[in-house]
Formats: sequence, C-alpha cells, structure tokens
Amino acid sequence: MRSRFSFASRTTRALVRRDFLSTLKGWGLYLAAFISLLASSFILKSHLGAIKENNILISSDPLNYPLFISLVIVSFYLAIISVISISREKDQGTLEVLFYGPVNCSSYLAAKYIKDMLLYLVMVSFFVIYFAAVSGFTNLAFSWSLVKAIFLSIFLVSCIVSFGLFISSLTSRMRTSIIWLVGILLAFLAIQIFHTMLVNLEEEALSSSLLYLRKTLEMVSQGTGWINPFSYLNRGMQSIAIGSVGLYGMSILYSLVYSLILLILSVLILEAKGVRG
Amino acid sequence: MKKFSLFLTLILALLLGHLASPSLAQGPALREQLVYSLNLFDGKGYTKGFCPRSEDTIYLIANENNAVSARTTLVYFWPITAKYVAGFKTLNEEIEGTLELMKDGKVMGSLEKEENVIYYPEGFFAENSRMYLGEEAHSFFQKYEKATEDYYERINEYYEKMREYRDRFNEFLESLSKRREAGEELSRAQIEAEMPRQPSPPEGVRFYTTPVTKDYILNLPQGVYQIRIRARDGTIVQDSQKNLVAFVQRRGGTIGYEITPGNRWTMKESSNEPSKRIYAAGENTLYLRPFRQDEYNDLYYRKLLDPQNEGTSERWMWVHITPIENVLVVLLSKGKLLERIKRAPYYVKQIPGPELGYEILEYKEEEFAGQSPSFEGHKLEVSSVSGKGNYEFRLEKGEGKVLKGSERGILFVRKENTNLLYLISIFPLVVGSVVFIRRRRSTS
Repeated sequence: MRSRFSFASRTTRALVRRDFLSTLKGWGLYLAAFISLLASSFILKSHLGAIKENNILISSDPLNYPLFISLVIVSFYLAIISVISISREKDQGTLEVLFYGPVNCSSYLAAKYIKDMLLYLVMVSFFVIYFAAVSGFTNLAFSWSLVKAIFLSIFLVSCIVSFGLFISSLTSRMRTSIIWLVGILLAFLAIQIFHTMLVNLEEEALSSSLLYLRKTLEMVSQGTGWINPFSYLNRGMQSIAIGSVGLYGMSILYSLVYSLILLILSVLILEAKGVRG
Repeated sequence: MKKFSLFLTLILALLLGHLASPSLAQGPALREQLVYSLNLFDGKGYTKGFCPRSEDTIYLIANENNAVSARTTLVYFWPITAKYVAGFKTLNEEIEGTLELMKDGKVMGSLEKEENVIYYPEGFFAENSRMYLGEEAHSFFQKYEKATEDYYERINEYYEKMREYRDRFNEFLESLSKRREAGEELSRAQIEAEMPRQPSPPEGVRFYTTPVTKDYILNLPQGVYQIRIRARDGTIVQDSQKNLVAFVQRRGGTIGYEITPGNRWTMKESSNEPSKRIYAAGENTLYLRPFRQDEYNDLYYRKLLDPQNEGTSERWMWVHITPIENVLVVLLSKGKLLERIKRAPYYVKQIPGPELGYEILEYKEEEFAGQSPSFEGHKLEVSSVSGKGNYEFRLEKGEGKVLKGSERGILFVRKENTNLLYLISIFPLVVGSVVFIRRRRSTS
C-alpha cells in the first residue's frame, strides 16, 4: 500500500514533462515575460529620467525594484496557469482518469509544483539576460545583491505557486479558484506595497490620518506576516540590504517551510474532497 | 441715521467685549502629573527629555549610563505639535524613594540616586558629551568651575590691561602731537613701531560641565524591563511604573558620507553603505563629509530622542556619531589614482542671475573677513568624460592606509540609451517566435 505522500517518481516526471513542454510551446509564457519586462523598462526609464533631472541619485540597487515588479507579474501568471490546469483537469474528468492510474494526490500536486518552478527558471534566464543588457546599455550596476535577489525570487515564486495550488485544492470551479487566488494575492500585495510606502515616508510628511493608516497596516502586516507570500521576499530583501548571510539563509528556509506546509495541506484537502470535489 | 450709528456702536462694543472675554485668552489645561525626567545617551551625547503619563515605555541605549528621575510637574497638551509639554519652571518636585528595576515581573534590584554630571568636551552646543558619576562627577565639575574662575580672572586682567592700554595710547597720542609740533618728522613705520600694542582678549572656556545632580543611573544590558518608584514608607508611588527597553545598534562603527551636490547644495544626500552607489548624469561637483555611524531601529531611536515621537519598528536609521577628520579622499578611475583630496572649508556666495543663484567658493579667512564658512568637505569634481563612465573613492589615513568600508562607486548613467530598454523587453517574444516556428516546422 502506498503512503499518502509517496511519489511515483516516474509518473511525476511524466506529468511534469507533459505540462512543462506544453506551456513552453505555447505563447503564454513568452507573453507574460514580455509584459513583465515591459513594466520593468517603464520603471527603469522613469528612474533614469529622475537621475537626469537631479543630476545625481544615490541608490544601492536600482535594478531590484524593476525585478520585483517583473517577479510579481510572472508569479501571478504561474499561479494562475496552475489553478487553471488543475480546475480544467477536474472539470473535464482528466484528473479522475489520472487517479485510476499510478497517480496520487501528492505526485499530481508535486508535478504541478515542479513544472511551475521549472517554468520560473526559464523566466529567471530571461531576467538575467534582460538585466545584464540593461546594465550594459545604461551603466546601472548589475550587482551581487541583484544576483542574490534573483536567487531569492525562486523561493518567493515557490511560495506563490504553492499558495495557488492550495487555493485550487480548496475550490472546485475554475472561475472561483482564479477569483480567490487573484483577490487574495492582490490584497496581500496591496498591504505589502502600501505598508512599505508608508514606512519609507518620513513621519513629518504624514498627516495624522496617514499615520493611523500606517499603524493599521503595520498591525495587518504583522498579522499576515507568515501567511503573506510577499512578506517572505521582503524579509529576504532586507537581509540582502544589510548583508546578513544568516538572515538570507533563514528567509530561504522560511519560504521552503511555507511552501512545504501549503503543499502538504493541498494534498490533504484534495484527498479529503476527492477528485470530483 | 442716529439710530443706525447707535446700533453700529452697540455691535462694535459687543464684538470688542466678546474679543476681550477671558474664554479666548484661556491657556491650555494644566494637570499635575508624575513624569520621568530623562537624560539619555543617544550614541554621541546626552539628550534631555521627559516621559509623560501618556507614554508607557522609556527607550534607552544598552550598556551606557542613562539618568532618569521621577518628578511631579504640570503637564499640558500643546495641539500644534500634538504633544504633552511639561512646565518644569512652574512645578518641579522631586519624588523621593528608590527605583525598582524588574524583569518579567521579578524585582532585579533597587537603585538609589547617584551624583552625576554631563561633560561637553567641545562646549555646550557641540553634539558629543559624556556622563561622569560620583567622585569623577565632582572633579569634572570642579575642573569646570576652576576653568571658569581662571577665565574670569583673565578677563579682569584683560580689562585692567585694556585700561592701561587706553591710558598709554592717549599718552602716546599726546606725545606724538607734541613731537610733531616740535617739528619732528615721523614715518608711518616709526609710528607703528612706537604705538602701544592692544592686549588680546583671553580665550573662553571651551568645555562645559553641568552642575552635579542626583538621578537614578541605568546602565543595562539589552532587554525589556520595568521600573517603578518605591517611596520611603514602602509603598509604590502611583503612576511610576513604566516599561523600559534597552536596545543596541544593528550595525555600528561603519563609515557613511554626507554628500552635498554642487548643483543643489541645500539638498544633502547620504551614502551610508558601500553598496550605495552614486549615480550621476553629467558633470558635477560633490562635497563629501565622512562620518562614523551606527544603525538603530527607527522606533527605538526616535522614542529615545522623545518618548512622544512616532516611529516604525520596521525601519532602521543611521545616526552620524563623529565626523572623520584628518583623512584624505582618494579618487580613482578603473583602479588608477586620479587625486588625493583634503578637507577644506567652503563659502556659498549668493549671486543674482538665472543660473543656480549661488557660487561655492573655497573659504579663505582674508577674503571673507567676518564671515564663517558655509560648510566643510572634500571636493570631488567628476565628469563622464574624464572618468570614462565610472569612478571610485575611498578614505586614506596616513600613507596609503585605506579605511575599511569607506569605498564608494560613482557611475555615470548612459541616458541616451533609455529608449533601448523597451526594445530589450521584446526578446522573450523573439524566443517564443523561434519556438513557435520550430514547432510548426516539426509538425508539418
């Protein structure tokens, strides 16, 4: 008898190969990469405009923020395609057929997770080429901390992908899954961005209502700190900023634990609900 | 018409009466409160403040002497700053007793008040100061008193010498006019040589020491504690319990720069870490002031400066501790030494015109008599042409001894290539097209 979390490695590999190649041969991946890099280009152009206007700008890693924007777009894309593929396979009965064979919940979800991570590694290669070219053309530094940030992004994407899998295991319909996933991720992202923005503003520049909003967001952010996948990236970026190897390693470890917990929960929920659930 | 003017007078009288009514002249409501008077170490010197009843926590730097004392005073709310203000001049009653220090609800010890002074080696208005306790406190205060007494003695001597000088000068003028009347011809050099010399005033006392006071001295390792005052009769003084956070720096002793760009000298920038590069777009002059600095949590440090300040625990701030002097800024391009730059004073001269509206000139005492320099710094002139894109600079003390962590890079951005950014972002689509074409070919 197979255990609940046993992986039929050959089956998993076959599922990964099938899904990975089908996504790689489609236009979606390239379009998502293009949109994310276009957004980065827009930000970088305004950044260079600011340097031109002020004649001087002091910054540690001007490429980190555009990377973050690209990363958010790409991770949304990866989470959505995972949700779509699971929901579609549920709707069309493919999942049921697969489960009659040597596929179980854990190998199925592991395959989806690995496929998304492999797709993200393709994206990483796009990012590296893009940012190296940007650095060459504009002289904005392609620094060691950017390399560290790109490496860290793999673990953030791991969190978001596993979060997407978790949501799709909870819901049965494709539309509901996408609405829940996008809604929750956007809410988390909004909390993260507005909180970071308000934290970085000087106290003197904030009106009393903004100060209350900052305090509220601080509390919300603390409350959702271990659930919000974007806060894992934030922790990692802070460790890069202060050059702490220990904290950097810890943030990677936290992301892995987060992903693992969500994957285990997804397996348990999928098993409890059944393939038609 | 008469009726109308009577009505107008009545209205005016009512209005004036209302304006003069005591309700408008009312001051803020004063409330008697127990507050903690604070004299806390801020990394470079001591900051005075107070912790009102509204604040339940006092923040201080760990492993440093900090003075606190409980006092009864009048407190009022000042709406303009939205903070409580203490009227120590009206009421400043010391609370007698011992300060109990607790951790996790357990009493760690009781503190009695200790004599202390704050010593300002560069004068009262300088930022650096130290605290001395007990015998040392007395000796520092005596040293200051002695220096002040000596200064007053020198001042008296100076006044005496000035009086003598004025007498001698008058005598000299009289003798000069007599000699001229007698037909003696005197050259300017001869007059100057014979003229009595004016005495120079004595130099003031450069350092300052506060009078000896008695406070509870807290020198605690990092952690969260509670404090309260136990009165002489053994009871706990009402409202005296406060939390106490002793914190440390996250990073310390590193080198930071305050950078004054020549094209906007009032808007200073800072580069606090070697990873912070300076991106420039064109020719510019930068004036650098290096500092030793420590990094503290924003919330803790702001609350240390004033317990009523807001702050955010997720932010960190660099505090400039001491300026680094007697060093050279070494400018390099691609590892090649370009220049060693000394620190110099500069004067900002306002000039009319459509350009910047000012000119930064090297300060020379003889050229700017009666004026003091606007700022001091190491002047770096950089342009994208001479540096071919990149510069580096660092600090050197002595012959070639580089100060660790002082390295910074200056990069010149290539703004002419900004439109190419959009072009680069297309390349995933190019890759996608290649994949698509190959797939079409393989299927056909």
